[in-house]
Amino acid sequence: MAKSIRLAKRVVAESDRLAKDLSDRFNRAGVFVANLMSSPGAGKTTLLEETARRLKGELRMAAIEGDLATDRDARRIEAAGIPCRQINTGGGCHLSARQILDAIEGFDLAALDVLFIENVGNLVCPAEFDLGEHRRVVVSSTPEGDDKPVKYPIAFHHADCVVLNKLDLLAATNFSVEAFRRFVRGLKPRIPILGLSCRTGEGMEAWLDWVRDERRAVAEKSAKSAR
Amino acid sequence: MHEVALAQAIWRQVLSEMERQEGRRLVAIDLVVGAWSGADPESLEFALGLLIAESGWPQARARIRREPLALVCRACGREFEAEDLNLVCPGCGGLDVDPVRGQQLLLESLEVE
Repeated sequence: MAKSIRLAKRVVAESDRLAKDLSDRFNRAGVFVANLMSSPGAGKTTLLEETARRLKGELRMAAIEGDLATDRDARRIEAAGIPCRQINTGGGCHLSARQILDAIEGFDLAALDVLFIENVGNLVCPAEFDLGEHRRVVVSSTPEGDDKPVKYPIAFHHADCVVLNKLDLLAATNFSVEAFRRFVRGLKPRIPILGLSCRTGEGMEAWLDWVRDERRAVAEKSAKSAR
Repeated sequence: MHEVALAQAIWRQVLSEMERQEGRRLVAIDLVVGAWSGADPESLEFALGLLIAESGWPQARARIRREPLALVCRACGREFEAEDLNLVCPGCGGLDVDPVRGQQLLLESLEVE
């Protein structure tokens, strides 16, 4: 005789549990964790290289790089002066909480101020998976077109900060900064939108200030809960 | 794009439940797939089909109920269903919306005999 067994289980329940575990560990250590997402080629790695170069005397940073293959990005970040772990996902389209748990084994979290997680270049799947991060940063770039926010609304909906990279290429494209801002603000009225160029350095200071402010907030909260 | 991994996660839960149902046969797996769950129903069904075919219950089926994305507009308060992930509020044209349904990927029940 047929019988129905009710389970009502969230399929990603285990992933959520691991993300909560990560979040607790990050908070205990007082390390600010930012999860960077973008389509391939928007400039996540270049942004991290520039951030590492400019902040390495001031903040203790590390990075985790997610790519389908190669350790090219990890070598770039290490060359910029901060420790980095590469995760190769094989065919995987996003980083998972399990992979981050394995990757942080190599880091002394309490000795870090900031941990950057560079997700797999993909504006779809990474948005669905919590890695225990404090903030999600979506990096967009001018050659991609100004309508990315409405075409990939989920990534932008879950974002806490939007970086618009490659401002130096603006004149070579038909990108409208005004339209981009309108699309982003339509989805998230109060989100910071930081236009910059990693190549010329324009706008970098506002991004570095955002990192500094977020890091300070996490450190203060962690110190308060430790008392 | 990650439906194989999701199918494997579902399958682990199915197997662990079937261990408790000793001697019974799996007939169907009932799933709810929300439009904003990040899973594509066809790909998920295909991936689960491969796992089922290799199992001790090759006749079992994966039955998927699709749940549309429902949103509430923060500006005007209107609740609406978003077709094709178009998040624009039909009431005021705003985009500042919060999902209320359609985010989940749920293993709802198993049918056994």
